[in-house]
Amino acid sequence: MTANWVPALELDELWEGEMTAVTVGGTSVLLVNVDGDVRAYRNRCPHQEWALDEGDFDGEIITCSRHLWEFDARSGAGRNPATCSLSVFPCRVDEVGMIHVDVR
Amino acid sequence: MIVGAGVAGASAAATLRAEGFDGEVLLVGDEPDAPYERPPLSKAWLSGQAPSIEVHPPEFYADQSIELLTGTRVTGLDAAARRVVVGGSAVGYDALLVATGGQARRLRGMAGERVHHLRTRADSDRLRAQLVPGERLVVLGAGFVGCEVAATARSLGVDVTVLEMAGSPLERALGPEIGGVFAGIHRDAGVDLRCGVRVDAVSAADSGPVVHTDRGTVECSVLLVAAGMVRDTGIWEAAGVPCDDGVLVDAGCRTGVPGVFAAGDVAAHDHPRYGRTRVEHHDSAVRQGAIAAQAMLGRDVVHDQPHWFWSDQYVHTVQSCGAPGVAVDETVVRGRIDEASFVRFGLRDGRVVSVLGLGRPREVMAGRKLLLGGHPVSADQLRDESVDLRRAGVRR
Ligand SMILES: Cc1cc2nc3c(=O)[nH]c(=O)nc-3n(C[C@H](O)[C@H](O)[C@H](O)COP(=O)(O)OP(=O)(O)OC[C@H]3O[C@@H](n4cnc5c(N)ncnc54)[C@H](O)[C@@H]3O)c2cc1C
Ligand code: FES
Repeated sequence: MTANWVPALELDELWEGEMTAVTVGGTSVLLVNVDGDVRAYRNRCPHQEWALDEGDFDGEIITCSRHLWEFDARSGAGRNPATCSLSVFPCRVDEVGMIHVDVR
Repeated sequence: MIVGAGVAGASAAATLRAEGFDGEVLLVGDEPDAPYERPPLSKAWLSGQAPSIEVHPPEFYADQSIELLTGTRVTGLDAAARRVVVGGSAVGYDALLVATGGQARRLRGMAGERVHHLRTRADSDRLRAQLVPGERLVVLGAGFVGCEVAATARSLGVDVTVLEMAGSPLERALGPEIGGVFAGIHRDAGVDLRCGVRVDAVSAADSGPVVHTDRGTVECSVLLVAAGMVRDTGIWEAAGVPCDDGVLVDAGCRTGVPGVFAAGDVAAHDHPRYGRTRVEHHDSAVRQGAIAAQAMLGRDVVHDQPHWFWSDQYVHTVQSCGAPGVAVDETVVRGRIDEASFVRFGLRDGRVVSVLGLGRPREVMAGRKLLLGGHPVSADQLRDESVDLRRAGVRR
């Protein structure tokens, strides 16, 4: 199956250490810039579906604003608790600095 | 050996494995269920909207080689011999975690088929069965659990009366001003909220419980006694573990008795920021459970995170970081308390030491970051809604 890349945001608009939510094909996607690498996750906390962009990102860890579940921003793996993780969308940055996400 | 299969116990068990412990892990709980989350019991679980509240998926325990014994009570401890009595037989341990939480406070003479308390899933299920339109619910006590149940019951079309001794709901936790905001929220939702009322007794009539107060009687068809929580420490005290309304532990969840630890609601924890505190917060239970597990493995750890709790009532979410009672030099409000949309910051020495927000999760999170960072920040920046709090506190 070929990837279904959809342009989501210009990299210039997502600084290192920042996260933001964008809507891609009707899906809310959390984009995170971890030390220059971009990651894309479903913008819903696996705990109770809360929007993660309301939470905190300290450059390493994403913390949900509801009940403080914590996730590793690089892998999406849970840290507190460790038994739950974020759902990852494939993403890439093209040669002109546009972030593309595949939400299929 | 972990006694009490609540969130603190479940967190400790998971942490032991995550930290690489490969010995036996026994998690013993007297409820019939595997560990589940209690906060939804007064909210989405009570209204039938939470699909699942279990802490870990069912296969987790087998996958992690955690032996989970449900429906089993621990009834005795011999700390010198390192043995507990589990379901009638003695079982040895190397390290013991007391994570037995608390029980709903029961008031004398209040029992019966239509009288409820709320602590367990079974309690919530029994209450839910009676919360149908047309019923008349009376809630004794406008603390968090009482207020949340009142909100849920209104959403289910139940008539609700709340009786509270203090001048406003949630007054003890949030103070009279914010309590007044909640009074308005509940009254707007159709709750008959009566504050400053002393309840003397409850009797049973054919129609249901009758509450006798210093201001007359109140009839209902369903009664919830929401009078807080008690900590049952009898077993541990009898075995020589120091207790004082909770099992006394140091910052690393150690009791001082070799091999015995405590975490969660049952613990009276010596917090590095706040001193001796007894809290009933989900987040503290999870974090203390994790810290206790590391301490059981001999690590030199402390639980020093600020307290965090939340409460959901109708569309409103209150969140608190810090300790509401912590000493402050100055209080700053961003937003409007009377519009139920604000964050209140407590400042000491020019730094944020407490954050309490209603309906403003983003700013509460930013405030929490300021609190954790401990950088100086000015009251003006906090108050000014045009300042992005995530960038505040960098310069004065
Ligand atoms: C209705 C309700 C709503 C809540 N809402 C919120 C909220 O919105 N936000 C928030 O921050 N906190 C909330 N809380 C508080 C939060 O749920 C508790 O802080 C948390 O559950 C404490 O976890 P724990 O593991 O320490 O104790 P518990 O959850 O009480 O678990 C202890 C377990 O140990 C068992 N046990 C006790 N003695 C023994 C024994 N001798 N042998 C075997 N097992 C034993 C108990 O039966 C229980 O299953 C709420 C609590 C309730 C009841
Ligand atoms: S919804 Fe995210 S932590 Fe609960």
